Amino acid sequence: MVKNILAKELETYEENKQRLLSESQGKFVLIRGGDIINVFDTYSDAVKVGIDKFGNTPFLVKKIVEFEEKQNFTSNLIKKESICLQ
Amino acid sequence: MPSVTAVSENLEKEGPIIEIHFSISQELEKKYKEEGKPVPKPIATRALIDTGASACVVKKEIPQALGLEPIGVIKISTPSHKDIECYQYFMRMVIPVQGIAYQGPFIAAALEEQNINSLIGRDILANGILIYIGYMNQFTFSLL
Repeated sequence: MVKNILAKELETYEENKQRLLSESQGKFVLIRGGDIINVFDTYSDAVKVGIDKFGNTPFLVKKIVEFEEKQNFTSNLIKKESICLQ
Repeated sequence: MPSVTAVSENLEKEGPIIEIHFSISQELEKKYKEEGKPVPKPIATRALIDTGASACVVKKEIPQALGLEPIGVIKISTPSHKDIECYQYFMRMVIPVQGIAYQGPFIAAALEEQNINSLIGRDILANGILIYIGYMNQFTFSLL
């Protein structure tokens, strides 16, 4: 089982998702561990505050949406064994 | 708007490939300097401009070499597999000669061995122009 470095942050997001959706849908939340640091209008603003506060340590910046966005790739340049979390 | 125009004999076979440098973000570089930490040197590599990629991808060894920690997790799908979870890293990409720069999220993944270490996807193209002149083996890429 691959360990997700951001598991705690993702858990925090899920625990607070309904509240975040009702208050800030479409915005970007900055989470560190079990703490929701703040909500921002843009992705860049959230990342910049995260770097300023926490430097080069894991934190989560996530768009607050009901259904998770996925990224799609039409070619097979990305390897099949691309289990990326490690 | 700065732009790069390239001619490639193998444009049809390889696609539009450009030389780029990856580095840590400007914000992290500033923080490192304030803290007296050494700033990792940029990594020179090749990127394919891929209109079939909805977002940018970087070979996972590159953010690792820059010592970066992830700031996101996202699911990706390809023709052969779907819903793979990958880390996202906030990085700076520069096309050195023309001074074209972009800073944003890059998905770290394993790429097939074709001497390509990054895909420039539609999230970057949303801020730019790509002109592909196949019969001249030439393309032009511009970024706001």
